[in-house]
Amino acid sequence: MKKILFSGFLFLSLLSLGACSSTTSPDAAKPVTQKTFTTGAIPDQDPEKLQRLYSKLSKYLEAELKVPVAYKPVTDYTAAVTAFKVGDLDMVWFGGLTGVQARLQVPGAEAIAQRDIDSQFHSLFIANKKSGIQPIQNLKDLTTLKGHSFTFGSESSTSGRLMPQYFLQQAGVKLEGDFKGQAGFSKNHDATIELVTAGTYDAGVVNEQVWQKRLKEGKIDLNQVEVIWRSPAFFDYHWVMNPSVKERFGADFPQRVQATLMKLDPNVPDQKEILELFGAAKFVPTKNENYATIEQVGRAIGKIK
Amino acid sequence: MTVITPALKWGLIGLAAIVLSLLQAGLFRQDLFNLNGVPLLWRFIVASVHPDLSTELLQTTFSATVTTLAYAVCGTFFSVILGMIGGVLASEVWWLSFGQPSRCWLLIRAAIAVPRAIHELIWGLFFVNIWGLDPLTAIVAIAIPFGAITAKVFSEILDETPRTPLLILLNSGVSPLTAFFYSLLPQAFLNLLSYVFYRFECSIRSAAVLGIIGAGGLGYEIFLSLQSLRYEQLWTFFYALFILNGLVDLSSAWLRRRLGCSSRIDLNLQQNKSKTPQKAAQNYFILIPIALFLLTLCFWYINPDFSKFWAPRTQQLFGQFVRSALPPDFSGVPQLIPQAIETVSMSVLAIAFSAFGGLLLAFPAANNFFLPGGLLNQQGNGSLPQIMFLLSRAVLLICRAIPAPIWALVVLFVMFPGILPGAIALGLHNLGILGRLMAEVIENQDQRPLAALKAQGAPNSLIFLYGVLPLTMPRFLAYSLYRWEVCMRETVIVGLVGAGGLGRSLTEQLSSFDYQALIVTLGGFLMLTFLVDWVSANARRSLR
Repeated sequence: MKKILFSGFLFLSLLSLGACSSTTSPDAAKPVTQKTFTTGAIPDQDPEKLQRLYSKLSKYLEAELKVPVAYKPVTDYTAAVTAFKVGDLDMVWFGGLTGVQARLQVPGAEAIAQRDIDSQFHSLFIANKKSGIQPIQNLKDLTTLKGHSFTFGSESSTSGRLMPQYFLQQAGVKLEGDFKGQAGFSKNHDATIELVTAGTYDAGVVNEQVWQKRLKEGKIDLNQVEVIWRSPAFFDYHWVMNPSVKERFGADFPQRVQATLMKLDPNVPDQKEILELFGAAKFVPTKNENYATIEQVGRAIGKIK
Repeated sequence: MTVITPALKWGLIGLAAIVLSLLQAGLFRQDLFNLNGVPLLWRFIVASVHPDLSTELLQTTFSATVTTLAYAVCGTFFSVILGMIGGVLASEVWWLSFGQPSRCWLLIRAAIAVPRAIHELIWGLFFVNIWGLDPLTAIVAIAIPFGAITAKVFSEILDETPRTPLLILLNSGVSPLTAFFYSLLPQAFLNLLSYVFYRFECSIRSAAVLGIIGAGGLGYEIFLSLQSLRYEQLWTFFYALFILNGLVDLSSAWLRRRLGCSSRIDLNLQQNKSKTPQKAAQNYFILIPIALFLLTLCFWYINPDFSKFWAPRTQQLFGQFVRSALPPDFSGVPQLIPQAIETVSMSVLAIAFSAFGGLLLAFPAANNFFLPGGLLNQQGNGSLPQIMFLLSRAVLLICRAIPAPIWALVVLFVMFPGILPGAIALGLHNLGILGRLMAEVIENQDQRPLAALKAQGAPNSLIFLYGVLPLTMPRFLAYSLYRWEVCMRETVIVGLVGAGGLGRSLTEQLSSFDYQALIVTLGGFLMLTFLVDWVSANARRSLR
């Protein structure tokens, strides 16, 4: 008898569990209607910070474009590209490399906008102070990293992997054998900062804008970690639009979105916050041709086939 | 004169494999441990005592838990259907009952080996490319490989079920189909059902793993919090996963006991003596409506979009995927060979680690051994064995509840990427599964020879060495060899988070969208899995 009661209780509790949460049903369970404009981003930073940033942006776009706008988080860079290809995401904030990868897989996809800082983007090589690595002046001195442990960001990151690997290659540092242990992949820039600050890795490489922002927020302990080198400039982040939106929202939709992004005004408090979260003064137009160099390097490193 | 028995031969081969794998892992040669990561690991451990219990997070945890459960329920549902059909078709006895002895079953059994050898996560990554992140992706990613595994096991169960009643019916002129359904299926039913419960437990773990590709549920939340290094939240999700796994394991064990099927998976079916179920009809009367209700609820909750099966977009994306993967690019093969060796080493180390750990924990975790009234503690004293019992069960549960890639990410705090952290992560996860299976072997083992030894006044240590070990060891080894095959399949998923071997190549190829090379790497994986299956099957045969 006791056993029957117990099992009844078990199933009842399971059922009530299902019933309760159905009222607070997650986004994943809701079918997204064809008329929702879905945005996404490569998870280059702390996923929770991205969630905050993109829900603000979605609200702004929804008000300006007069269509429902949703933000859908993904687990890694590759997943963002795949979701864009499959059509789960209509517009994605890609890095240089992922943007090129996405456009190569979706004919007609267009780079429409980037931040003012993205045409002159830099990577920062950082090191833990206890590692004994000294700041360097030029590329050739990257050899100072030999014999130390080192971590990249994501495998598909432009500022956290592609360009740094290219610079390391130019300096003659080999990924296999020159570092202590195998080079790590932290998955995002925040994780890289954290891992190098904690000393898990002696050195690492991050996106300059994320670094500056965390510095401003007082999140970085400069007694533990320092910048040792700032890389030459390259093109990076940009918004890429899926051509399928034209069928659903009208042929001029990409232009409308572009204009809406350009219109973000630092003098309006709500919009200022969005720009600040992006670490930009304003958004500027961009075009596919700007990323030719990234594509070349991508092919040389083997990240683009 | 030396006598080398098959068992001894396999023992020596096993030992040699472990030593070679350790060398391959770079022991004594490379920097393996990264002691600078200890403070971060410590932060992670400390967070376990103060998980984030805010209302908002608890709500997220709740719906994530239900999502994971629903994926598992729906995935199991489809895999049982696939398994049922495939299992019957892949059994020798089915073709036999139609008169002419045919070789069809061998062909079908060979064909289902392919989907079986590919891990759920890889299936998931494939379907994401076609269906996106629809719940359908998660369900089908579980259903295909699990359906194939179920089909294989079902066909073996059917073939090993006594055939006399079937033959009698056939000889008296009953049509083959009717004969099959009235003799063999009812006879094998309990074993089949028992295996379904075990598959469901596995599905829960798989549903959590699939979170890593973004399929939602607890695994997804865990992965995100681990990436943002929010350990307090992470532990909330961990606890939910422990509770979910614990509840499912408990209720599945309870149901199996009630229905009269004793062990989870039985590798030596001939020895199985299932007790006759009591009040069976009454049990099913309760069970079937509950199962149906749970199933409906789960399908309603995750709401998979079945129209995607026949949508034109699916065909288009599938075509695009196939075109991008063909022709295969074999230029990377020279690099794959050393990585293939690494992968095999990883699986050997993982299984050695989990077999050893499982062995240590299985005895305190068995309910008839150290506990008061148990074999080695008949005086019935001491609360220490009871604490040990709960503690070892808890450790086993924690080990198996946390998905292997998550273990890998934790181990990577304090180790450099390579095959050893991968092996440790896989070892930890499989230890939890193996330890529990071993504890079950101990509980179900024939007690009479041991009682006889005891009655003759043999001390506990001698009962253990001359009674318990010889009786249980062959089955322990059989289970370990069986899990080795699983470990081999799972090396790919720890590789995805940077733990080395072929998985690392796979990650690079995935992130470069180099599907032509990817398909070659997967082919390599397939060959390795078949190789391991073959060696393991041979070794197991020598143990019988």
